[in-house]
Amino acid sequence: MKSFLNAVVFTLGVVGFFAFVCMYVTSLSGGMGGGGATGVSPEAGEKIFWGDGQCHTCHRIGTSGSATRGPDQEGLASRAEERAKEMGLSSGLEYMVESIVNPSSHIVEGFDDIMPKVFAPPIMLDREKILALLSYLQTLGGESDIEAVTKFKDRIPEASKTKVVPWVPPIEVDPKEGELIFFDETRDVTCSKCHVMNGKGSKVGPDLTGIGAVQTPQYLIESVLKPSDVIVKGFETMYLMTNDGMAYNGLLVSQDEEEVVLMVDEDGVMEEYVFYPDEIAQMQKQDVSIMPGNLSEMLTTKEFYGIISFLLSQK
Amino acid sequence: MIKLKPFMDFTSKKLQLRIVFTLFLAIFLLALATGTGMAQENVEAAKTTEAAAEATAEPAEATAEPEPEPEPYEVVDYRNFFGIDGRLIVWIISQLHLMFAAFVLAVPLFVVIIEVVGMKSGDIRYDNLAREFTKLLSAAFATTASLGGLLAFALYGLYPAFMRYMTDVFHPFMFIYALCFFGEVFCLYGYYYSWDLLSKTPKGKWIHISIGVMLNVFGTALMMLANSWATFMMAPSGIDMVTGTVTSLSHAFANFLWMPVNIHRIIANVAFGGFVVGAYAAVKFMGSKTDEDRAHYDWMGYIGNFIGLGALIPLPFAGYYLGREVYSASPVMGNIMMGGAFSWTFIVQAILIGMLFIGGNYYLWNGMSRIKGAERYTPYIKYINIIIFFCFAVWLTPHNLPLSGEERALIGEQYHPFSKFFGVMAAKNAVVNLLILSTFFSFLLYRRANKGETKPFSSHGRGARITLIIAAGLTVMYLAWYALGLRGLELEENILRYVSPLVTCLVIQIIAIVIAILLAFKNKGKLAQGFLFAVTTITAIMYFWYYGFVVMEKANLVLRYLSVTQVSIVISCLIVNTIIDVFLFKNAKEVGGIQWGKIPHRSQYALLLLCVAIVTLMGLMGFIRSGLRMNWHIYGYMQDTSAGSFTPSIAYMGWTVSLIVILFLALVSLVFWLAGLADKKKKHA
Repeated sequence: MKSFLNAVVFTLGVVGFFAFVCMYVTSLSGGMGGGGATGVSPEAGEKIFWGDGQCHTCHRIGTSGSATRGPDQEGLASRAEERAKEMGLSSGLEYMVESIVNPSSHIVEGFDDIMPKVFAPPIMLDREKILALLSYLQTLGGESDIEAVTKFKDRIPEASKTKVVPWVPPIEVDPKEGELIFFDETRDVTCSKCHVMNGKGSKVGPDLTGIGAVQTPQYLIESVLKPSDVIVKGFETMYLMTNDGMAYNGLLVSQDEEEVVLMVDEDGVMEEYVFYPDEIAQMQKQDVSIMPGNLSEMLTTKEFYGIISFLLSQK
Repeated sequence: MIKLKPFMDFTSKKLQLRIVFTLFLAIFLLALATGTGMAQENVEAAKTTEAAAEATAEPAEATAEPEPEPEPYEVVDYRNFFGIDGRLIVWIISQLHLMFAAFVLAVPLFVVIIEVVGMKSGDIRYDNLAREFTKLLSAAFATTASLGGLLAFALYGLYPAFMRYMTDVFHPFMFIYALCFFGEVFCLYGYYYSWDLLSKTPKGKWIHISIGVMLNVFGTALMMLANSWATFMMAPSGIDMVTGTVTSLSHAFANFLWMPVNIHRIIANVAFGGFVVGAYAAVKFMGSKTDEDRAHYDWMGYIGNFIGLGALIPLPFAGYYLGREVYSASPVMGNIMMGGAFSWTFIVQAILIGMLFIGGNYYLWNGMSRIKGAERYTPYIKYINIIIFFCFAVWLTPHNLPLSGEERALIGEQYHPFSKFFGVMAAKNAVVNLLILSTFFSFLLYRRANKGETKPFSSHGRGARITLIIAAGLTVMYLAWYALGLRGLELEENILRYVSPLVTCLVIQIIAIVIAILLAFKNKGKLAQGFLFAVTTITAIMYFWYYGFVVMEKANLVLRYLSVTQVSIVISCLIVNTIIDVFLFKNAKEVGGIQWGKIPHRSQYALLLLCVAIVTLMGLMGFIRSGLRMNWHIYGYMQDTSAGSFTPSIAYMGWTVSLIVILFLALVSLVFWLAGLADKKKKHA
């Protein structure tokens, strides 16, 4: 009996140690769980940042948190003001709203376009929570202005209450066929000539690795059919005219005081052209994407939806 | 000598009668209290009925009053359990059920193996041991089934809407589940009760073993069926994500995470079962009065620890595979797991796994004290100890500790200049593999503790040579196949060049294996083992630790290939060295026998620690796996809109899991005590 009692005391000691470690880790990590936050206030927003919103999965705030996937949000409000001025937006708050509503619209240099829409599944923050979050973000390098935040109420989409937005191709397609077309170099419409997927392909256009996890089917369809509607930052077409009257349209690879490098499509082959500043007569950004706008004519319907299915499967 | 009277004599019949009477009284009072509540409800219902009857009996007065509308039937999505959050109840019951299920699924796996070993070796001890394990199994089985029934009632009662949907999707499999359950019941009781009957002839023994195999088949099928429901909730497939309509039942069943969870659970269950029976043996050993009993339970504890450690070694690899697949199924879920709300729980996990490895090694070292000749190897133990504690320390170092502004200013950067190198995957992968190699090394020392002069390899005959060639050949083929796969990767040139060193390391390992085999053939088995250990440590631990940092900085994509290469090299070392060891010490001269029962008492606490640690670990990992869905019943399709949908803090989880662990151990103790009552009766008779 004594040995059994000793075993019980020992067991309780080990279990007690486990409980103590859990309590200690909680105090260390500051993660007290989500829930309980309501209303539009910086306090509620802070809880959402560290809880339901899962923002801390990718962002840290100074010494709080350790995520490095997204930018450090310390001093965000003041930085947002600067960026808003550069982009001609009305305020830093509008910049933050746009960054949440359409995360791909403002990608901070050095970071990938990986931020999900927080009002869409699986995060699904409702409008009030997003407003609360904005009011908290205002306090990071600025002051909270709840009245100003609520003015953006209509710009924020309402979260779907129950179900995931579905996408089913109108005809039965196989993503594997889409993959074959994506990498088929014998065709004119080879996507991998310009896009990288899982380390394979050319980096002329945006890297599409994991695109299915961060973009909606609608966005992908529109991007293929109407490539000029949304041009990913850093991939805008540049128009350049030299002093001798030659015009070029291409992607800006690099630009400094000594030279400008442009990637130009020469009959389906991308070639780099180097221009020296004294030979450039005119240079300006274009609203037209370098990506062919006639892909719908070059692909059959089945091939088109096959490619979309393949892209969506890349998560 | 004065014989002290024990504080409480549990063998006393009088005391047992008192316990039974107290339990009966407690149940009776509980039933009375519940009955009173129900009676009150009935009284109120009766009053309402009477009032209604009175109302209808007075038509003259009531004609002016219109008849009240009958209350519509209200469909509820959630209920709580007499004021307690439904989730907490389901959490506790499901975890308890899982723990008992892990035990009853794992024990038959090694019981059948032990029985086969007993039959082949002719050593009756193995047969008796297998039978004793089965006795525990049959006692625990009824509790598992009862908890399963309770869980089903709790789920249907507290989460009716969710269970309605799950039933809609999986109802065909629920019938298969019930059939498999019948199969398991019949096989288990057939296996247990036919032991004596079928042990009389070799043919009968094989029939008995076949029943044991069928028991495992049904048990594993049950586990896989239930796993598909749990993994469907994490990574749903085969349904329309808007309407919920089932588009493919087979896809819903064999969903993305199904197989990774199956593999992880089978291995984890074996480790769990081994350590639980080890603790049972430890308690019995400490309470033993005779040398014979002590020797028996010492041996039983050793077997339990052997099984537990044997399964624990590949478990991190299965865990890594599962984690990777979780990430592939949903990057958001993967981020939540390793970089978000659940990342700190992995620090707690590291502490528990560290306990397991340290406890397992400590037990082996203590066990060497009962082996004559082991003193030759004891000087090495302190070095192994240092390595294991070092690995443990690195494993539980977080990537970044939250620093105050002052601390940050003092350090001059966000991360600690020294510990930051230990917090990343490259370091953790290296120490996990080193931990496994060190534990394996400990085990090899234990195995050879009482062995002296070895026999030449050629004396074991052609069979040994062929076995070694086949085992090494298969290992080499696997390494070559993976190396060719790496060479064939279609990646960009600037990324692909970071893959080349992995291929080189695999080729080095293949050459090392071939050299080790040749050395073993030349009767230099110890040198062969040492050589293979050295090459593996240099490539898979030291070089990959450094190279992991390079890859993380320059070509992160390559890290996943690096981890698999690292694991492959370590496993190849374990396989080849084990086979060499088997033949190296086959028929070797014994320096001294093993004195079963002559092990220090403190070693039994190591067995207890292993049991408590693995039960707690199972509770923790259950929380993580289930919690990753956050506020979703079925991830991405059906949201949890109940009040308890939030993710609890780690402290809350800690208290709940502690409660579950205590409940489980208390129940197991009760069940094992009950299982032992029959033996006591026999002894008294």
